[in-house]
Amino acid sequence: MKEILLDYDKCNGCMACAQACAAEHSESKTIVGAILEGVRPRIFVQSVDGKPFPIICRHCEDAPCVDACMAGAMQKDPETGVVTNEGHAEACVGCWMCIMACPYGAVDRDYRSNTALKCDRCPEREIPACVASCPNNALFYTDVNVYADARRTAEGRRLLAIG
Amino acid sequence: MRYLIIGSSAAGIKAAETLRGLDREASITVLSEENEPPYSRCLLPEYLSGKKSREELTFRAGNFFKDNNIETMLGERAVYVDPAGQEVILESGEAVGYDKLLVATGASSTCPPLPGIDKVGFTGIRNLDDADLILNRCRSGNKAVVIGGGFVGLETAYALNRRGLDVAVVELAPHILALQFDATAAEILANDMKQSGIKIYAGTATRELRPPEGLGRLGSEAENTVVLDDGTELKAHLVLTCTGTKPNVELLVGTGAEINRGIVVNEYMETTVPNIYAAGDACESTDLVSGEKGLTPIWPNAVIQGKTAAYNMAGRPRKVSPLLGLQNAVEFREVPAIAAGLSTSGPQDGLEILTVHQPTRGIYRKIVLEENVIKGMIFVGNIQNAGVIAALIRKQADVSKIKDKLLDYSFNYGYLWPGMVKKELEEMEAEAV
Repeated sequence: MKEILLDYDKCNGCMACAQACAAEHSESKTIVGAILEGVRPRIFVQSVDGKPFPIICRHCEDAPCVDACMAGAMQKDPETGVVTNEGHAEACVGCWMCIMACPYGAVDRDYRSNTALKCDRCPEREIPACVASCPNNALFYTDVNVYADARRTAEGRRLLAIG
Repeated sequence: MRYLIIGSSAAGIKAAETLRGLDREASITVLSEENEPPYSRCLLPEYLSGKKSREELTFRAGNFFKDNNIETMLGERAVYVDPAGQEVILESGEAVGYDKLLVATGASSTCPPLPGIDKVGFTGIRNLDDADLILNRCRSGNKAVVIGGGFVGLETAYALNRRGLDVAVVELAPHILALQFDATAAEILANDMKQSGIKIYAGTATRELRPPEGLGRLGSEAENTVVLDDGTELKAHLVLTCTGTKPNVELLVGTGAEINRGIVVNEYMETTVPNIYAAGDACESTDLVSGEKGLTPIWPNAVIQGKTAAYNMAGRPRKVSPLLGLQNAVEFREVPAIAAGLSTSGPQDGLEILTVHQPTRGIYRKIVLEENVIKGMIFVGNIQNAGVIAALIRKQADVSKIKDKLLDYSFNYGYLWPGMVKKELEEMEAEAV
């Protein structure tokens, strides 16, 4: 199962991911349109002592936001692993239990609809908009196992090269 | 294996769903007094206000039971458990056998001993029948008085207000939401509610409830009178009492199960009787902050307990970590608020209190610490990252290094573990190996 992974050292806080996210979730699918429509990004580029720190949902295996949702709106798709409060028969009512439950602060409020706002991993795209837009390769979309293998291989090559 | 679950709300449904995930073959039966598909009690205000229809109150897809191959006995009332014979006896006389039993019977509204309540009639809000009764009464007039300014009372008041009723709330404590919010937070929330025309009488006892008298009894416009301690008389077609609940423990009385206020369970959600488990509002478990046994009557806790009970019932031992008994999120009109743990404490309790208060922006944030460990929090107006603080309460982590940052609006998860990201990736890799 693919995940959005982050290499924080490579992030320079350019906000391209946030803009791409808002654009993707707007009607017009453009950055300007997103601003005019008041669409907020679902990836939060915050900072830690001045260093950029993007925060995005990890789509937890045993997601606290899903357990907390008293409307049944927040669900984890068993096939894709995506956790979202959108697109289900059970509608989000904006009770904010999920905001209280999320230890990462990855859920925000959508002021337009007064519902919870979070990453839905761009269901219409093969690669999520934030990942596709990142000019620094800080964000990548991959299977954790594949990523781990690649890292190990790279590390192995490095060691061999030195050796 | 025969699993029997009594109760079809948060804990019961989560347990049934989890059991089915763990065991494709077992017989799973959900028994409930209410002859309804699973619906969320927390959504009843949305039903009262007219925002959601009856059908929209479900928190699982309409064919949940069928899809999960779960048998149902709805509209059936369990009256007695025979732990020796491993049977539950129904009101109809029928006996239902079980190998593992989960008691997720929830709680009921309590009726306060208010003078005259017997004459006016007690109306609480706990289930769909209550809601239907209230909606029916709404037809006879548009004035409502809600006695009790806790979460349930205020959510109900706001729902009736949105429905177009003239609503007053009477609260005995000095301010609304006294169990979870301090006076400063309550003032912001009360002002927000008043914007919508709701009247709030706090710090006021209800002296008497009087039914319509004389000619006032006649016709559809009959008004009750709610007399407050200072002599104020409020007229109401509808008097609602939202002053608290009590756990439904009766089913296990006489079985030998230990019962305090709620059914006592251990960290495996087992009662003191073999093969009987309890979860949700009916049970009592260890509170994270106080370390004492207590009720933990909120939806997220019920779900976690139901899930944990299911694992243990299925023979997969799993402990529930201590839960935050007091935690709640709310938004009545347009001010969101979250409170958790020892949120109402002050310096007089020997605790360290950090606050930021911006009255003009309707923002208030408070963090309660004991020896650098967060014990409670209140976020009003701006609730972003409230979950990060709540998680620190759950972890009972030492926050001395970040204490000065906790109340910053820019405080975020990234401050918790510097260099955390690399470590996390390494951990993920380690897991993947």
